Amino acid sequence: MENLDSNSIFLLAAILVPLLTGSVLLFGSGFSQGVRRSVALVGFGLPFIVGIWLYCQFEASLVGAYNFELRLPTGLESIGIYLHLGLNAISLPLFLLAGAVGLAAGLYAMHSKAERPHLYLALLLFMLGGLMGTFASIDVFFFYFFHEFALIPTFLMIGIWGGAGRRGAAIEMTIYLTLGALLSLLGLIALYVQSGVESFSLLELRNYLSAQPLAETVQNNIFALLLFGFGILVSLFPFHSWAPKGYAVAPTGAAMLHAGVLKKFGLYGLLQIAAPLLPAGAEHWFPWIVWLALGNILIIGLITLAQKDLKMMLGYSSVMHMGYAFLGLACFSAVGAGGALLLMVAHGLSVALLFMLSTCVYHRSQTFDLAAMGGLAMKAPVLAAFFVAATMASIGLPGFGNFWGEFTIFVALAENPVTRWLVAPAAIGIIISAIYGLRAVANIFFGPPKAQFAERLESGKIVDLQGFEKLPACVLIAGLLVTGIFPRVLSDDANQELMGLYRDNKSTLSVTGAATGSPDAVATKEVKH
Amino acid sequence: MTATQSLLLVLLVPLFSAVLIAFFCRQRHTIAALLSVSAAGGIVLFSVLALSETGTEVLHVTTNWLEFGDFEVNMGLYFDTVSKTMLLMVAVVGFLIHVFSLGYMKGDPGRGRYFGGLSIFMFSMLGIVLADNLIMIFVFWELVGFSSYMLIGHYLHTEKAAAAAKKAFIVNRIGDLGFVVGIAYAYWHFGTTDLEVMGQIVGADDGMIKMSIAALLMCGFIGKSAQFPLHVWLPDAMAGPTPVSALIHAATMVAAGGDFLIRIVYLFPTELLTFIAWLGVFGAVYAGFCAYTRTDIKQILAYSTLSQLGYIGAAFGLGYPGIALFHLVTHAFFKALLFLGAGSVIHGCHHEQNIFKMGGLLKKMPITGITFFIGILALCGVYGLSGYYSKDAILIAGGFGSAPISILLTFGAFLTAGYMGRLFWVAFLGQPNSEAASHAKESPLTMTVPLIVLAVLSVAGGWLDYWPESLGGIIRDDKATLKAMEGYDAMYTKIAILGTAAWVVGLLGAFFFYGRGAKEDRLEKKAAPLYGFLHSRLWFDEVYNYYVLKVQQRFALFLGFLDVFLIKGVLVRGSAGLVGLLGMGARSLHDGNIHVYVYWFLGGMLALWAFAAVASGLL
Repeated sequence: MENLDSNSIFLLAAILVPLLTGSVLLFGSGFSQGVRRSVALVGFGLPFIVGIWLYCQFEASLVGAYNFELRLPTGLESIGIYLHLGLNAISLPLFLLAGAVGLAAGLYAMHSKAERPHLYLALLLFMLGGLMGTFASIDVFFFYFFHEFALIPTFLMIGIWGGAGRRGAAIEMTIYLTLGALLSLLGLIALYVQSGVESFSLLELRNYLSAQPLAETVQNNIFALLLFGFGILVSLFPFHSWAPKGYAVAPTGAAMLHAGVLKKFGLYGLLQIAAPLLPAGAEHWFPWIVWLALGNILIIGLITLAQKDLKMMLGYSSVMHMGYAFLGLACFSAVGAGGALLLMVAHGLSVALLFMLSTCVYHRSQTFDLAAMGGLAMKAPVLAAFFVAATMASIGLPGFGNFWGEFTIFVALAENPVTRWLVAPAAIGIIISAIYGLRAVANIFFGPPKAQFAERLESGKIVDLQGFEKLPACVLIAGLLVTGIFPRVLSDDANQELMGLYRDNKSTLSVTGAATGSPDAVATKEVKH
Repeated sequence: MTATQSLLLVLLVPLFSAVLIAFFCRQRHTIAALLSVSAAGGIVLFSVLALSETGTEVLHVTTNWLEFGDFEVNMGLYFDTVSKTMLLMVAVVGFLIHVFSLGYMKGDPGRGRYFGGLSIFMFSMLGIVLADNLIMIFVFWELVGFSSYMLIGHYLHTEKAAAAAKKAFIVNRIGDLGFVVGIAYAYWHFGTTDLEVMGQIVGADDGMIKMSIAALLMCGFIGKSAQFPLHVWLPDAMAGPTPVSALIHAATMVAAGGDFLIRIVYLFPTELLTFIAWLGVFGAVYAGFCAYTRTDIKQILAYSTLSQLGYIGAAFGLGYPGIALFHLVTHAFFKALLFLGAGSVIHGCHHEQNIFKMGGLLKKMPITGITFFIGILALCGVYGLSGYYSKDAILIAGGFGSAPISILLTFGAFLTAGYMGRLFWVAFLGQPNSEAASHAKESPLTMTVPLIVLAVLSVAGGWLDYWPESLGGIIRDDKATLKAMEGYDAMYTKIAILGTAAWVVGLLGAFFFYGRGAKEDRLEKKAAPLYGFLHSRLWFDEVYNYYVLKVQQRFALFLGFLDVFLIKGVLVRGSAGLVGLLGMGARSLHDGNIHVYVYWFLGGMLALWAFAAVASGLL
């Protein structure tokens, strides 16, 4: 366990280097632009490079175990808290996602015209460090700790650089996310206490609980805390209202990292921790997840149609797509979890790209009002091409990763007689998302420009996408294409791991659930294992 | 080179061309055009190579693409008689339309994007043709939808094109909803979506045929092939450049729906086939009527396409997928010819599309005029031309299957001859009715040569006996089945007479009713109420628009209102007490200072750490 091979050091560096460079920049108000950007580039680039390197070094044969393990003492060993890092095939895709979105957000932020740029970059780097740590943690305590660590800069950035109406949005976001984080913390502590294993290590918890599952009622209670706690963090309906407004006012970098990566924390927690460790609890709350997820897809989907502001629309659409991920999770099968995992990665890339491009649009149009633009493609064809590609990705066009995520989830729902009816209502989302996505594209880029925008368009001030905007966009598009064309690069390893985690659950849900239709009956059976 | 390699190249060559154009040739229009046309030529070459390599053998290769649990996605090539026939048709028609585009799009500022779009379309379309399983078909199905979106919206500064592109994509998605659900169910029902394996499973036990799955998959066909009630996108799609209408919205993509049905014909129970037959009959007659009230040359052809897609559907529904494929191929030849002819006319008349403002074009544009007339004759099913063989086969099949279907389809043939006659007599004979028409000139060779080649194919494309051995096996089988029916000869004679009467009466009737080079629509003058009723097209667009704007959008706005005022306003803001329970003091809450919350967070973390530390001491 205590072997310090070089890859483990890289893993640690991916967390520490952004934090270190961030700290340097914090005191870097006197730095020249060049120095500031160089320091920031190190902080943003290294996690991405480490992610790619570790992906290449990853050994899939270690099913149920972690690669690149590293365990450092924290002074809290007596209650089983270690800084225990490592990656498995479920966390690796998200680790890569964090690296890619972090790099893109960083590259874009380096050219931001924000006041106090050193502080802006520093906070973004702290956020990135926290994100890398979250997905690299085996220790549940640090998994949570790093998440909170990444949240704080989000609030600060909204407070300092947010757009109009940031106060209300920030308050709402803070209340909600605090509530969600507290509930999930309670759940995690309850898990620790109830298991009696005296360790926060996910590995030990998993080994212990698979041999001695918790009592059914205990599982139900803990799962509820985790479901609603994590659910709030992922904007599960009806706990979503913080998200659209929050993203609408957040500065671009914060919105990219939060909507793209940090929000996935909750799903990741449910996928990697809650559902595998508390199968009976998951079965019990299954109807809740399903109905609330449908609320995400259908109700939020329709609300997205009513949005007139580009950023609000993107915010709601991101809430909507989380519904698919919840449905994938609700299948409690390797297929469903796999689809959810692919969707999380692809959605993270596409939503970050869309938030970035919407800022690029704003710099040219000076408005987010969808009814006040039009014809931008004539002056900015490359921006239009990127925006169309990002929209197509988010509405699930094959060739982009989102398609495989959504499609796999549909198939996963159809696998099981209990969830089979859900395929059709869930798939209605593909129509809804096409409507709002293409409507936005048409309103911004095509057709004749609206009256007040026509003058701007003709003024000659509008330039096409610049190099510093293209580079981060290309990073994200490349990720979407790779996962879209060769989904195996992520799926094969993850499949092995998920088969291990969800093998038992699948059989119970399909057999007992079909026969009795009662989640309680399923749960009883599960406990007997 | 093996056949598999040739087929892979068939797919990769256009993809490569599209990628190159997207990255390097957006502004280098001429290079983009040449690249795309060479790619189309390459497709023809490699298709022929693959065909000569395999002969009559069936090739089926497949590879694993994605795997989760028991769910496996494969990508593969299934090269049987259907895909061979489709491949050659798409390759040849596609190549000719690429060449035509060289002339038609000359001087267009978006040429690079246009030719890139054509290449990505060819890639996607050939993917559907060659796919060996439903999931792969769906992947390319969505991609043709995207290329169609991109190419309909080519003139992106116009409101019309932007709206039409959006409409086409969204209406297709409605059909795809059923398709994707059908695939998900089919996967677990059959344990695979492989076309060949599913065929074997159903062949061994026809109890495996499931109405629900077949009906869901059929939705994909209804959307893509613009069948009732999702037909509304196709006439609007004419907002795209005319060669695009010829390639995508007449010859290949809309026919891909038919191709898809033919590939999974074994999944359909009889009742559903009957339903599809009637759906097709309805479309054939309905669209025929609609065509009489259109004055835009492309709109008339669009409704003609809808009508002919109805024939294809009817042939399939009558239980003759081979005949459906036959009509699909011959239709591709003559409808591509007609659309390109229309393109040539529009090019010659400086983008005038109203037939009543044309007139006398036969003299001004003789090659276009003559080839266009050949196309009309082929479409009407004149003896000896390609349309005759395929359409008569459908009518004969109808005659054996269901008398009302046969009668309605024959009536549809009469309607076809009538509106095509109206188009030709008004636009090509008489005297020019506008400045644009009087200055019309014959189009350049890049445009007329494809017209001539397509005219030859429209004449000879139906001579099945001269087709290579490797093509059209399923067509020959169905023809043989028909021939073996009792009373075939009598039926054949009856249909030949009725069919001929239909086009003679239709063409001549239109000639005498509308007159040569007419300036205005006589039907509109003489029978305004009838014209008005037909012009309404049964108000489908109006009903859909009403639903979208007045029902769906209002419901969405209402939900949005609830979201803002109920959940956010009342539950969140109003529940300060709940938040208080979370350990945040009420004062700091009303304070509303963001920094305070951050300190609370830090405090919470410290408290947590302290808790952990104390707990560790106790334990």
